[in-house]
Amino acid sequence: MTLGTVALRHLQERLVANVLTVVSIALGVGLVIASALLTRGVKETFVEGTTDYGLVVGAKGSPTQLVLNVVFRMDSPTPNILLPTYAELAGDERVELAVPVAMGDAFQGFRYVATTPAYFAAFRWRRTTFTMAAGRLFRDDPAGSPTYEAVLGAEAARHTGLRLGDRFYEGEEMAEYPLTVVGILRPTRSADDRAIFFSLPSYWEMNELARQVQIKPLTAVLVRTKRMSDLPALHRELNVSAKTQAAFPSTILLAIFNLLGLAEEILTVILAIVAIVVVSYLFVSMYRSTFERRREIATMRALGAPRAAILRIVLLDAAVLSTIGAAAGLLAGHAVAYVGAQLLAARVGVVMDPFALGLLQPVVFGGVVLVGTLAGLLPAMRAYRVEVAENLAPLS
Amino acid sequence: MTGAPPAVVLQGIRKAFPAGTGRRLEVLDVEGLSIGAGTWTALKGRSGSGKTTLLNLIAGISLPTAGAIAVGGVDIVAMSEAQRDGFRARHIGYIFQTFNLLAAFSALENVMLAMMFTDAVPRRAHRQRAADLLARLGLADRLSHKAHQLSRGEQQRVAIARALANDPPLILADEPCASLDAETARDVLAEFSTVCREDARTVVIASHEDAALAAADRVLDMAEINRAGGRDAARERMTPA
Repeated sequence: MTLGTVALRHLQERLVANVLTVVSIALGVGLVIASALLTRGVKETFVEGTTDYGLVVGAKGSPTQLVLNVVFRMDSPTPNILLPTYAELAGDERVELAVPVAMGDAFQGFRYVATTPAYFAAFRWRRTTFTMAAGRLFRDDPAGSPTYEAVLGAEAARHTGLRLGDRFYEGEEMAEYPLTVVGILRPTRSADDRAIFFSLPSYWEMNELARQVQIKPLTAVLVRTKRMSDLPALHRELNVSAKTQAAFPSTILLAIFNLLGLAEEILTVILAIVAIVVVSYLFVSMYRSTFERRREIATMRALGAPRAAILRIVLLDAAVLSTIGAAAGLLAGHAVAYVGAQLLAARVGVVMDPFALGLLQPVVFGGVVLVGTLAGLLPAMRAYRVEVAENLAPLS
Repeated sequence: MTGAPPAVVLQGIRKAFPAGTGRRLEVLDVEGLSIGAGTWTALKGRSGSGKTTLLNLIAGISLPTAGAIAVGGVDIVAMSEAQRDGFRARHIGYIFQTFNLLAAFSALENVMLAMMFTDAVPRRAHRQRAADLLARLGLADRLSHKAHQLSRGEQQRVAIARALANDPPLILADEPCASLDAETARDVLAEFSTVCREDARTVVIASHEDAALAAADRVLDMAEINRAGGRDAARERMTPA
């Protein structure tokens, strides 16, 4: 028998109380892990998913809504602009590249994005490039001759189970316009992973309103200028116009980060309170356990157990409870993060990895075991000082 | 009595406890006492006469306010606390009135627990030694039973086995049969007597039981050896610190 066996037996003896202690630690740790993973995931989604274009041009309205919808596929689309706006921008000598985008409905929750193959073109300035996992890009078909070819983002393909050659549509009214999968993209860790791309002519034919008008609609135009210095003037001109607005994605991203930062600060305070409550609970539990065991401690001392051995047993108890609680908390945290990630993906299009491993896990695990063990220090000192003769007396 | 050197020698032992408001309660005052090795000594006296206090002092569980105590020729008062703990684990077996078995442990583990704090028995032999002792006390089929699964008589046998675990030359027993019915008390005492006599251990037993007093080589009346008169007398003449 070892001190470890003695500590284990004590833990078994107060099984219900100790299970509750472990559960409270696990809940606290799980909350910290899940919050950290989700917050980091949301941040990374915005950082990695941000666009390389300098301007997003759309209809008058909220610039945040425009950027969130066109770049991150969140929120609802802004009102339409018309195709000539794109033509004007494409023809502007200050513009290096203009890409038209129309946001449509969705298939099984994966947003339709109509655009041109230029959206996927590789440029020196692009941080991420699109590569095909299978098949090819949709054809740049001329207006009036849609081919209904679709390219799926990696997550959209995985989730829907669609393969090359599959035809699909959502809703009976769309049965006349089935899309055919011609390509699947590799993961980009951006909102594009959850999109279904096809050509603008296909979109205009599928959209009842667009079919009836001569001048075709768009949701936005992504603009890259030749020189950064041209951006402010172009931004001003587009915003002066009665029909269009231009938004800097970087400015919107900064506003989102500020908002996230505030939420993070509030969350940190809440988590700190949770941590204090959990440590206090462990402390009270250990203290109470030591008080209840003072007769057993006195017996062990009478059998020759040195004070240091008693101290080690109580600290070992606290360490074992903290370790099990921390380990269970890590698992629970990742499980909650997984559920959170699914909800975020389904509701706001945020794609994140709930099982991302890093410094977070060992730091939280080590910290909890250390703080938990230290919470056992005072009860251990109490056990250390147990008066043997006094506590050996028969209970009356 | 035997001709062997004394197992326990007490000289000018006094023990007082703080009694609040700066006063002290002197419950024990023993001028001198020598207990021969391999003998049975019974301490008799009413409750509060100082029997447990005297046993605790001999065990080194508490220290005297004044005086010297030698166990096996070793001055235990002069030892550090850690040395006293080690000495007690190796040389003294203690049997409590209420058994004091650890509830979470099996009978076997309760006996093995006593061997954890000294190297008197090699670690690999702990289990076998505990099983042998329990078998010797008629508990071979109760090894894995927890305290609450044992009768009171069985619990006290486990406590006796635990006291013998490190093969100590001195056994201190504080009212070992007080929590048992008369018949069980007689049986337990008989077994206790047998195993201790067979191994020629020195036994100091505090007891009211006639059987325990009859089994002893020597009976000491606390009323005669304790000049402080015990707890009640001390309260009557409480002295300032």
